[in-house]
Amino acid sequence: MKRLTFSVSLCLASSLVASPLAAAVTSPADDQAADYRKQWHSDIYTGYQNLATQSKTLTNQAETYCQTPSPEGLRQTKQAWLDAFLAWQEVRFVDFGPVELGNRAWQFQFWPDPKNLVARKASYLLKDDAPLTPELISQSGVAVQGFPMVEFILYDQTFNTSDRALPADHTCKLLVAVTNHIADNSENLARDWNDFQSNYSGNAQYTETTIKAAMAGLEILEERRLAAPMGLRGNGKRSVYNADAWRSGTSLIAAEASVRGLKHYFLPAFSRLLNDRKLPELARNIEQQFDEVLANFPELDQPMAPLLVDDNAFRSLQSLYIDITQLTALVNDEAAVELGIVRGFNSSDGD
Amino acid sequence: MPELTRRSLLKAALAGSAAVTLSGCGILPEKASGKGAQQYTGAIGLPGGHFAVGAIAPDGTMLWQSPVSTRCHSGCNRPGTAEVLFFERRPGWSFYVFDSKTGERLHHIKASEGEHFVGHGIFSPDGRFLYATASRYDPGEGIVAVYDSRQGYQRVNTFELNGTGPHQITLHPDGQTLVVGLGGILTHPDYDRIKLNLDSMKPALVLVDRLSGATIGSFSPSHHQLSTRHVDVAPDGTIYAAYQYQGPAHELPPLIARYRKGRYEEIDLGESVHRKLGNYIASIVAHPENDLVAIASPIGGTALVFNGRSGKVLEQASIADCAGVEALAGGDFLVSSGRGKLIRIGKGQPAREIASMSVLWDHHLV
Repeated sequence: MKRLTFSVSLCLASSLVASPLAAAVTSPADDQAADYRKQWHSDIYTGYQNLATQSKTLTNQAETYCQTPSPEGLRQTKQAWLDAFLAWQEVRFVDFGPVELGNRAWQFQFWPDPKNLVARKASYLLKDDAPLTPELISQSGVAVQGFPMVEFILYDQTFNTSDRALPADHTCKLLVAVTNHIADNSENLARDWNDFQSNYSGNAQYTETTIKAAMAGLEILEERRLAAPMGLRGNGKRSVYNADAWRSGTSLIAAEASVRGLKHYFLPAFSRLLNDRKLPELARNIEQQFDEVLANFPELDQPMAPLLVDDNAFRSLQSLYIDITQLTALVNDEAAVELGIVRGFNSSDGD
Repeated sequence: MPELTRRSLLKAALAGSAAVTLSGCGILPEKASGKGAQQYTGAIGLPGGHFAVGAIAPDGTMLWQSPVSTRCHSGCNRPGTAEVLFFERRPGWSFYVFDSKTGERLHHIKASEGEHFVGHGIFSPDGRFLYATASRYDPGEGIVAVYDSRQGYQRVNTFELNGTGPHQITLHPDGQTLVVGLGGILTHPDYDRIKLNLDSMKPALVLVDRLSGATIGSFSPSHHQLSTRHVDVAPDGTIYAAYQYQGPAHELPPLIARYRKGRYEEIDLGESVHRKLGNYIASIVAHPENDLVAIASPIGGTALVFNGRSGKVLEQASIADCAGVEALAGGDFLVSSGRGKLIRIGKGQPAREIASMSVLWDHHLV
C-alpha cells in the first residue's frame, strides 16, 4: 500500500511534478530519512555549539580589551570577531528552525545593507552618551545586533579616524553590548536547536527543508556574495561594497567558511541519502567538487577589493567562482532533479 | 495515508499523463462570469531575471507580454473598460495600467511619499475608483489608498486600516464593502523583507465601507501568527480568507477561514491535506458559479478544490510551485505555476495540463 503511494508520486513527477521526498512521509524510506535528519541535527548542533563558544570568547575578549585597552588587545579582539564570524558562516545556510525565531539569522548578520544602516545606526547610538543597555540593543533592530556592527566598530576606516574610535569609552560600551547580544543569541540558538531535535527528526518535511536550505546557501554564495561584487550581475560594475564583510576584507575567507560548513554539517548525511537513492556517482562528484572549491584556499584568504581592481588577480576570483558554480549546478540542478526538489519562483517568494 | 488521497493522486497521475493529447483537443476553457475580456493576466518572471506582465487566453495561448522593470505581483481588471492594472511586488513603488487587448502601457503611477503598495487592488463597480492596499512604512500603518481613474489616477482618499501589513483587497458583491486581508506583519523597505514583529502580529480579516472608509468588521484568526493575506468572496456573500502561518513548519494550524451569516470560522481540511500545504496559501478563489473554492500552495506544491460549505476536499493535485488561481466558465479552476504550467482542475475534474510555457507565472491571475 505504502509502496504504491510512493510510486504514484514518482509517476506524477514526470507529468505534473510531485515531490518524492514529501511523499516519503509514509514510505518505508521513512526511517532512513529520519536517520539523515538525526545526523543533520547532530552535525548542525556541532556548528551551533562552536558558534556559541566563539561568540562567548568574543564577548569576553571585548570586555578584557575595554578594561585595559592596548594595540595587542585590539588585535586579539579582531581575531576573536573573525573566529566567531566564521563560525557563523559555517552554519549560515541553516535558514529554518530556531534560527528563524526573532529573526536571529538577520540579527547575526544584517546583509545586504545597501543603505548603510549599520553605519547610520552606529552614529545614532554613539551621538550621545545614553546608556547602551541590553534592552536598547534588543530594541535597536537587526542592523545593530550582530557581526556587521562589531565589524564596523573594529574596522571602519572613516570611523576609526574619528574621536569615537576605540578605545573611546562609549564605543567600547557599544562593542561590549553588541558582542554580549551575539553571545546570548548564539547560546540560545544552540539550546533551542537541541530542544528542536524531536520535532526535526520526527517530521519528514524537514528532509527537503534541509536540502533546500543548503541549496539556498549555495545560491546566495554564488549570486550575491560573489557574482554581484564581481560585476557579473546588474550594472556589470565590480564593487566590493556589494560583497558582505568588505570592511574587514573577509568576504572570501567567509565564503570559504560557508563552504566548509556545508561540507561538515550538511554533506555527510546528504551523501548518505544520495548513495541510498542509488546515486553514488553524483554523491562522489559533489564531494569532489566541495574539495575543488576549498582548494582555492588558503591562497584566496585575502581581501576581495584588490582582486577586483587588478585583472590578473581577478582571475583567481574567477576560478573560485567557476568552482562554486559547478558545485551549485551539481547540488541545485542535478541532485535537485534526481530528488524531485523544487525551489520555486513562488515558493521562495513569501507574499 | 487515507484512501481518498491515494486515489486522488492516482487520478491526477493519470490525468497528467494524458495531458499532452488532451491539451490539443477542441473543448476550450472559458473564463467564468463572462465579465470583461476572455483572458487572464498575470505577472511573469522571464529567463535571465527579467519581468513582464502577460495575458493569456483561457486555452493557454499567450496574447501579449509587456515588459516591466521590477517583479509585479497581482492586479485587477477595470470594469467597463479594456484596462488591466498591475502592482509591483511588495514593497511596490508603483502600479501600471495596460490596455488589456494589446498590452500597451497606458499609465505608470508611483506610490505616494512614505508609502508603498503591497501588490493588490480592486476597482469600484463602475470602474472609477481604485482601492489599493498600501503601507505607510515608517509608522507601519496599513491603509487603503484610493485613486480616481477618471482624473488620471489622482490620489483622492485614504482609509485607515488600524493595523499592519494589509495584502489582498477585493469587493463584496454588495458593491459597497471592501474585504481586506490584514497580514499583520510589519516590514520596512530599509530592511529588505524581514518580518519585524512576529511576536506581536495582529492579523485580521477587515471589512471596510468603500464610501466612508469606516471599518465595519474585523475578525481575528485563532492564532496571532496566522497571517491573513488572501481573500475572496462568493456571489452569495460568503467571504473566504487564506492564511500563511509564521510559526514552526511542523505545526499544522488551520489555513482557511470563512465568514458567513455573521460567523467567522476556520476550516480544517484534515491533517493529510494540511501536510501538503506548507502552512502557506498563495491564492484563494471562490467560484462565481458554484460552491467550490480553490487554493494553491507553492511551498506545498499543491492545489486543491474544496466545497465551501462542507470544507470537504474534492480534488487535489501536486503541482510544483503553483500559486495563481482563477475561475473558469463551467465550474472549474485554472491554476498557474512558477514553472510555466497552466492546469485545469475542478470537482470530478482531476488536474489536467492546458499549457506549458517558458515563463514563470507569479502569485496571481486576474
